[in-house]
Amino acid sequence: MMRSMRLEVRSLRIAEIRLGDATALSGGALTVSPDEVAEAVLADRRIADVEVALAQPGDDARIVHCLDAVEPRTKPPGEGAVFPGFLGGMDTVGAGATFRLDGAAVLVSSRYPRPFSGLLQAREAVVDMSGPSAVYSPMSRVRNVVLVCTPNPEADNEDYDDAVRRAALRTAEMIARRALAGAADGGGAPGSETTVFDFSESDPRLPNVVYFYQLQGQGPMADTYLYGRNIHNLVPTLIHPNEVIDGAVVSGVHVYACYKNPTYLHQNNPIIWELRARHGRSLNFAGVIINRGHNYTQEDKERSSRWAAKLARMLDADGAVLTAEGGGNSAIDLMLACRYMEQDGIRTVVLSGEGPGADGYGFPLFYTAPEADAVVSVGSEDETVSMPEVGRVIGGGTLLDGETPARGPFDLKMYYQYCGVNQLGAGALAGKAF
Amino acid sequence: MIRLVHYLNQFFGGVGGEDKAGAPLQTHDGPVGSGRALAALVEGEAEIVRTLVCGDNAFHADPAENLEAALSAIAEARPGLLLAGPAFNAGRYGLACAAVGAGAQERLGVPAVTALHPGAPAVDVYRSRVVMVAASGSAAGMRPALEGMVRVGLRLARGGGLLPAEEDGRIPMGYRAARVDPVPAAARALDMLAAKLSGAPYASEIPLPPRVEPVPPAPAVPDLSAAEVAIVTEGGLVPEGNPDRIESSGATRWARYPVSMIEAGRPRFRSIHAGYDSRWVDADPNRLVPVDALRSLEAEGFIGRLHEYVYVTTGTGAAVSDAERMGAEMAEALLADGVQAVIATST
Repeated sequence: MMRSMRLEVRSLRIAEIRLGDATALSGGALTVSPDEVAEAVLADRRIADVEVALAQPGDDARIVHCLDAVEPRTKPPGEGAVFPGFLGGMDTVGAGATFRLDGAAVLVSSRYPRPFSGLLQAREAVVDMSGPSAVYSPMSRVRNVVLVCTPNPEADNEDYDDAVRRAALRTAEMIARRALAGAADGGGAPGSETTVFDFSESDPRLPNVVYFYQLQGQGPMADTYLYGRNIHNLVPTLIHPNEVIDGAVVSGVHVYACYKNPTYLHQNNPIIWELRARHGRSLNFAGVIINRGHNYTQEDKERSSRWAAKLARMLDADGAVLTAEGGGNSAIDLMLACRYMEQDGIRTVVLSGEGPGADGYGFPLFYTAPEADAVVSVGSEDETVSMPEVGRVIGGGTLLDGETPARGPFDLKMYYQYCGVNQLGAGALAGKAF
Repeated sequence: MIRLVHYLNQFFGGVGGEDKAGAPLQTHDGPVGSGRALAALVEGEAEIVRTLVCGDNAFHADPAENLEAALSAIAEARPGLLLAGPAFNAGRYGLACAAVGAGAQERLGVPAVTALHPGAPAVDVYRSRVVMVAASGSAAGMRPALEGMVRVGLRLARGGGLLPAEEDGRIPMGYRAARVDPVPAAARALDMLAAKLSGAPYASEIPLPPRVEPVPPAPAVPDLSAAEVAIVTEGGLVPEGNPDRIESSGATRWARYPVSMIEAGRPRFRSIHAGYDSRWVDADPNRLVPVDALRSLEAEGFIGRLHEYVYVTTGTGAAVSDAERMGAEMAEALLADGVQAVIATST
């Protein structure tokens, strides 16, 4: 059904990461040069300074003020850019080969140059690398190259946000490219493998399953970028899953840490990876429908959700998996799409976080539909986590409230755990009835 | 060794059948009746130091007094755990087990477990107050019910917590909490979809809402020119410093502020709402709470009077239960002040 795109994702397992004079990869050990990173980051004058810190699983460390996370990726010379629309031209990605440094990430930590008001606000987002609170963030299980950035005070917040987003993408590409350049044997640790994304064959005996992939388009600090552009004017449309895996979708959402879908998780979207694993075995992966989350009016929501259901029908879908980012407003877009797909005879499963209140006794969903009778829970935003004292803090001495010592101990709502209630399914939690 | 107190009715305590339902509360040191099977189950881990037996009718003749008597008998035994029943589908017995269990838990701090059929009358009354293992409808299910009470009870007595209701074989207490699930959510989702597509049974991890309550529009105000009109907003408008500490998101608090303060511009008002671009509201609060427009309508006689307070909370990320509570509290206050109409501005 989805012809003409074959992507080989060549994963190079990163077993170790350290700072050194030149960025390079050998036998799974990645060396990152702070000078080369600084050169890549400070190419943009809107960023005044950058410090490079490593945060690896098991470290007695906490990262605060987390913004985007990006997996280092590059394509062979001449095969186009990763992150099209940001790096290089408007190449259509999703075909050929892509190298990924599997187990590594570039993670940005920064404050913004100006005070925020209302929605235009990057809120606290915390990752612990060890201890009981390390269970919540998928980035706790990754070796992070943290870019602790200082804004140029002359930049405004939106401008600076654009700068750090581009800096993270540039740095991730630079690290992957330099790592690959000198690695004669590929450079990955044992277990490095190539994963083929090719959905051109389908088996008529298996059910066709589509993925309804709602991207948040709420405004500054809460936008997702598709080939470098925000999605405010998006009509639900089709995208090849390989494009998503290959960097076509970039995150700029910093409003609700626990619900965040960073670029790293678009690149490694767990739903797409799981659909790939089952394609041709128990289902046909029949396509990805992207939709804007946070349409402003009820009419826009009705228009988008009905349109998405129609696309699913046009793809001859029997079933659909639906995900979103954030909650509240965007949950309405999500649930309406579920409703209209079900009404068209397409069986659905929705992934959702919960908000049952601090005591857990409230109804867990903000908005639902009678048709949403199969919902997978990814945890609760309302719970409180005890954050222990840690030996090292990366990113700042206090939390964004300006008072709480970041070193801890303190109690923190799940809301502020980076990807703690990730609705792409990257977290570890599930809400349960007690 | 955990000290265990066991509560039974006259039948399971070996006093007699329905004809002995009036038998008053009695205490025994050691296991009695069905407690002997329980004693064998907990051997080496816990010891039944006391058994309370009370007739079904006797308990309910004066439940408050009997509860007091039972609690002092329990306290005297200094237990680490109270097990009550199993009471299966019994009405009176189940209510007594649940009341004694809830009392021990809440007032003595003694972990307590009972076992009931999910349809038993005590379940709806006590589900959030006492741990209930799911039992069958009759004493034929004695053995698994006892085993369930022991499994959960010993864990609680040792300071452990509850597992999710399904894993624990318990009747849900009504609250939800997150736990690590070893199966990734993407795999759970596609497994659920596969079941749904093939017609196999599947269970949503989040239940459908128990009820859908449509909110019918209120009837029209008969005479607006005589009505007192209030402004209510979820737009998070607060005086400088946010004295009532209304949350930016997930609000549990609301407050009301004099309209005159907003008109005077002292103190300054701004929005602490986390879900919309509030720059225009900060510049002019009238764009969120249209005091200026309502004053004109008041002067024209179109409305009778603008109520002296603006009611405020934050409408983003709130738990439905908190939103319902705050709405009811505001409505009560507005009615008490004689307000007849409300303009609710939403962001």
